[in-house]
Amino acid sequence: MKIALINGSPRVKHTSSGILLNSIKPKLHDNNSIEEFNFKTSEIKSDDLEQISRCNVILFAFPLYVDGIPSHLLRCLYQMEKYFASNINNDIFVYTIVNAGFYEGEQANIAIEMMKNWAEKAKLKWGQGIGIGGGGMMSMIEDSTDTKGTMKDVHIALTHLANNIIACKSADEIYTSPGIPRIAYKIGGNMGWRQSAKKNGLKVKDLFRTPGN
Amino acid sequence: MKLLIHDLSKEDSSKLIGSEEDVKVISDNDTIHTCIGCFGCWIKTPGQCVIADEYSNMGERISKCNEVIIISRCFYGGYSPFVKNVMDRSISYVHPYFEIRNNEMHHKKRYENHFELSVYFYGEDITEKEKATAEKLVKANSINLMCKIKNLTFLNDIKSINELGGVIL
Repeated sequence: MKIALINGSPRVKHTSSGILLNSIKPKLHDNNSIEEFNFKTSEIKSDDLEQISRCNVILFAFPLYVDGIPSHLLRCLYQMEKYFASNINNDIFVYTIVNAGFYEGEQANIAIEMMKNWAEKAKLKWGQGIGIGGGGMMSMIEDSTDTKGTMKDVHIALTHLANNIIACKSADEIYTSPGIPRIAYKIGGNMGWRQSAKKNGLKVKDLFRTPGN
Repeated sequence: MKLLIHDLSKEDSSKLIGSEEDVKVISDNDTIHTCIGCFGCWIKTPGQCVIADEYSNMGERISKCNEVIIISRCFYGGYSPFVKNVMDRSISYVHPYFEIRNNEMHHKKRYENHFELSVYFYGEDITEKEKATAEKLVKANSINLMCKIKNLTFLNDIKSINELGGVIL
């Protein structure tokens, strides 16, 4: 079986979407062929589109932007919709991982619904979506497994997803968050913003600027 | 002041706007850059996007209005790529700090203004599922942008938008 992994983050490196795709890869068994794509801009090369259309499964991973799909990826999806809606190979299953910067993975539910609506318009088969919160902690996933660690629940969700992908099975959405209390994620996140500002030569009060007011 | 964000052609939007003076318009002139997820508008130049184009001060623009009106073709239950691009470039309107509202994590307010949100989705083939998704989207946007929903309308014909000109603005 051929599986296309599509990283839909616009960032050049250190993407949570890339980390999640790297984490699911070992769970997809060796006898499957994996082809990887990065959608960082608003247009897909025709060669890539053809290659993706020859796959049995497409797995997207992208960050949640303003309650939905990042705009560059939306343009790519529209391009794919036009291609697939008129393509003979509609026997492709679509799976999606959405990572949110907020703690609650549930906040990705609208973006997942949009991906379902897209699959229907592109005449593809919907597999499953998973929403993962706590995007700021995704680099810690390598220190966890399905049985231990802060990101255990994320690993378990990825394992369920991988098993459904291998079986080409449709399943309900899964929403998950890191294994720390929400208050701790909030405090840590706000501390992270202050540290980033200082690294950029700003003072904490600069974060509160109100240009034009 | 009202802020109108739309993806209509020049011809269609001119019929809609007319001589209304208290409206600032954000439209597509094919120059917008996509958000690159750098968070520069929060941690490098707070309140201002680091990408230098006509859409770099969306947060400030929203801060000066009492109503945001969005007219967008419906894509999969959400905004069109252009309108979504504008929304993605508007996150400087909020502060990076997290806070809990509605028992969910959201970003803190940066500006003190309050505005109402009106959204007009158009398209000939909007499905019932897409409408349901769009309703959830607008509600979620209103929570994240801390605004009140004034109107959410679905139109299946672009001509009916033109007829609504006096109602929208």
